[in-house]
Amino acid sequence: MSEIPKETLLSIYETMVKIRVFESRVSELFAQGKLPGFIHLYIGEEAVATGVCAHLNPGDYITSTHRGHGHLIAKGGDLKLMMAELYGKRTGYCKGKGGSMHIADVDLGILGANGIVGGGPPIATGAGFALKYQGKDNVAVCFFGDGASNQGTTHEGMNMAAIWKLPVVFVCENNFYGISLSQERHQSISDIADRAAAYDMPGVVVDGNDVTAVYEAAAEAIKRARAGHGPSLIECKTYRYRGHFEGDPTVYRSKEELEAWMKKDPIPRFETNLKKMGLLDDARIMAIHKEMEDRVDEAIRFAEESPWPDPSELLEDIYTGPAVVV
Amino acid sequence: MRKLTYAGALNEALRLEMQRDPTIFVAGEDVGTYGGIFGVTNGLLAEFGPKRVVDTPITESAIIGMATGAAAAGLRPVVELMFIDFIGVSLDQLFNQAAKMKYMFGGKATLPLVLRTECGAGMSAAAQHSQCLESWFMHVPGLKVVLPSTPYDAKGLLISSIRDNNPIVFIEHKMLYGTEGEVPEGEYTIPLGKADIKRAGTDVTVVATLAMVPKALAVAEELSKEGISVEVIDPRTLTPLDEETILESVKKTHRLVIVTEEVGHAGSSAEIAARVAEKAFDYLDAGIRRVTAPFSPVPFSPALESHFIPSEAKIMDAVRAVLGAPETA
Amino acid sequence: MTSIGIIANPASGKDIRRLIAHGSVFDNQEKVSIVRRVMLGLESVGVEKVIFMPDYFGIGRRAVEGIQTQLAVETLPIKMEASQEDSTLAARLMREAGVGAIVTLGGDGTNRAVAKEIGDVPLMPISTGTNNVFPQMIEGTVVGLAAGIVARRLLPLEQTTTRQLRLEVWRGEELIDIALVDVVVNVEAFIGSRAVWDMSKVREVVLTRASPSNIGLSSIGGGLYCARLDRKHGVYLRLNEGHGPLELTAPIAPGLVETMHIADYRLLPVGAQVPVQFTPSILALDGEREVVVEQEQAVVVRLTENGPLLIDLHRTLELAAQKGLMVKTELPPLAEGACLLHALGLCSDPQEDCR
Repeated sequence: MSEIPKETLLSIYETMVKIRVFESRVSELFAQGKLPGFIHLYIGEEAVATGVCAHLNPGDYITSTHRGHGHLIAKGGDLKLMMAELYGKRTGYCKGKGGSMHIADVDLGILGANGIVGGGPPIATGAGFALKYQGKDNVAVCFFGDGASNQGTTHEGMNMAAIWKLPVVFVCENNFYGISLSQERHQSISDIADRAAAYDMPGVVVDGNDVTAVYEAAAEAIKRARAGHGPSLIECKTYRYRGHFEGDPTVYRSKEELEAWMKKDPIPRFETNLKKMGLLDDARIMAIHKEMEDRVDEAIRFAEESPWPDPSELLEDIYTGPAVVV
Repeated sequence: MRKLTYAGALNEALRLEMQRDPTIFVAGEDVGTYGGIFGVTNGLLAEFGPKRVVDTPITESAIIGMATGAAAAGLRPVVELMFIDFIGVSLDQLFNQAAKMKYMFGGKATLPLVLRTECGAGMSAAAQHSQCLESWFMHVPGLKVVLPSTPYDAKGLLISSIRDNNPIVFIEHKMLYGTEGEVPEGEYTIPLGKADIKRAGTDVTVVATLAMVPKALAVAEELSKEGISVEVIDPRTLTPLDEETILESVKKTHRLVIVTEEVGHAGSSAEIAARVAEKAFDYLDAGIRRVTAPFSPVPFSPALESHFIPSEAKIMDAVRAVLGAPETA
Repeated sequence: MTSIGIIANPASGKDIRRLIAHGSVFDNQEKVSIVRRVMLGLESVGVEKVIFMPDYFGIGRRAVEGIQTQLAVETLPIKMEASQEDSTLAARLMREAGVGAIVTLGGDGTNRAVAKEIGDVPLMPISTGTNNVFPQMIEGTVVGLAAGIVARRLLPLEQTTTRQLRLEVWRGEELIDIALVDVVVNVEAFIGSRAVWDMSKVREVVLTRASPSNIGLSSIGGGLYCARLDRKHGVYLRLNEGHGPLELTAPIAPGLVETMHIADYRLLPVGAQVPVQFTPSILALDGEREVVVEQEQAVVVRLTENGPLLIDLHRTLELAAQKGLMVKTELPPLAEGACLLHALGLCSDPQEDCR
């Protein structure tokens, strides 16, 4: 394992905190009735998006999921535009037409959160196809969950990426639940990485709550993809602290289970490491948290002060070029 | 002028466009080595190589999803769904992903992708390989639906579709592949959303699509011997729909027959009828008639299938009916 | 009642070495299948009970569901942590329950965890891990036969098992961890994905064995032949980053033959100890980054004979055959070293020195 530069370590820490603070505030805002629609939060899984996206540049693509805020932030998404979108405002990433489940920034290589479980893998495969076609050394990363690992689209995408040796990295966030159904009830295997062998690609399991483990595995898989050696599957074992969506009473899991996972929280774990290395102290930690709180505050202010979309915008952006009038 | 088959015209369109623009690639089941199950992509592999003419596994979701991702990332995919019936296993990638991506992303995605597919009865291919499902795609904002009936239209519309920056469902009819017609050399485009008056007339307007167009023309020819002047209009695209040409015709003839091979219930014919009823009711001298397939899966036996597909006799009866004659069928 | 403990690690054979190297893939279905074969072997030699470590995949439960067996089955009442502590605790509970032997399915890491608490219970490890030196790729049914024979003490332990060396990591008076094959000092900051593959970070290597036919970090010692190396000695190596008197290549992981620079080679007699010279660092134990050594912290690695009693599969089954343990027919008493065929009168071509 080559050394992780100190700036990278600090930036990884800051990104994880940024996601945590953003998501925690979103949870509050939703409870206050300020955000319409469904919200699926990434709290607890920050190490996965952060450890993977730390290797990506704007020319690399990701496809995300319904639980996508963390991926967007880790890939460089703008908090103000994200928050405005969650509010349904005209200034949001999608002009209020997408919402939480469809936030995207194609210029940053973010091919969208996705409201369909298993919607992303074929699209990531297509982005990988384009990158290879164009002779670029970029990659497409497909985030998906244990639930999506059972969808046909996931298998079709993996198969296609494997036969054509496309630069795609499949990152499975196994948080052990497909909505309310526990993993042991929704699939007959425990390690989704086992499925990689069926497509003749490497499949590995890492501790998804250890950002350094995710970072190392992603480094290798992405290096492999950039070098033209084809796709890989990284299974990150992790856990969502919140329900499937905000408001989910989580009757399907125990308090003990949640508490056990919270003891393995990725942020304090990494914090301890960085303190030992002398990269962080309590004052700096406080300062980073404060900075992120301020930035999220600013994003909320931006969103709340932003205008609603005008009804006339309803019929815009359906087609490229002249509108289709029916 | 030079004549080409419908399949040959499509092949020429693909070749010309691929020569023009290196970001265009063709992918689908058996499109490469085999040349396409109906021969439409014949010779492309030899000319453009395996990078641009890609044989895919039989995984329709991945084909359409791959095209979506590749289009979002800057390519212009022309992918083939071997039979329109197979859309059932892959619909999500088309109607939830490709069709909506631009809108969901607030306009910040461009998806120039063509999904070529093929439909229609007439080969005893039975219920899962013979349907006409164009209305499914009409119902989804974000998609355009193109359906040529002649070799000339096939070439021009396919070139236009490839150059369009939206996801397009390009529906060919399997019984038309071998039909011949005049096709100019070189490239030309036909605007999407522009109907074609295939035969001008004054007494009755017949709107027909795909394989019903030649049948409607045959009926018009037959009736002309009796002095009945039938105007035959092929909309050529259902989304966008050239309402204006149809309405203008109805305002002239005051009578409308719509002929599609789709089942009539909730079909494209129903949409066209509704539009005319909404916008030209006062011009109609007779109730609108539709000639469609019955509400039934497509049968296998030639004895049943020939009864399923709208016949010239039924079209003729419908035309006579709107003219006030008693029906024979 | 003769019982056997089975510790099958569901997490073995899936780590990052499938990305950084070409490690073999071991899915859990195959582990279930191996356990079935082991159980059928055990039953055939008269073992009566199997005790399982519980695991998140349910290897034991699934194995039992798939076969017809008279074996009594018990699963230890352990609250699973899905970590190597499960294996260590299971080994202790099995030892306390008086099992006659423990069969493991895992890699070097799994056996290291088990060895911590196995005491004098004979150990029969099956490799289902990545790049293993300690456990071997062996067939489950014959493992069942051998482990069953040993568990029932049908043959003397001194003939069927050998005491293994181990490396003990001491911080002052505290034994903090052990290794069965290698302790490697890495100048890295994180335990991360655990595997070791960047030789530029490796500074010291301590080995219980150094065979050139081994895969993994112990192959570094294997590549340097020493006539005096025997089972009572380990090896200490110091490496330089990118330079040094001796350049060596060694297969440090499956498919990964790396170059390294050796600065020092020492044979270690049993009882010897070496201080960790490089701090802060991470110690990898049997191939996995495991122990964090802080700046200036005094940590020593000691070579001892406190390793597990390893069952010798081939020797055990050879002896068993020789003693007629597989023969169900009533046998006459056999003298030590006597030929079974000769005694039974089955041999068609007895030689003069047969007896």
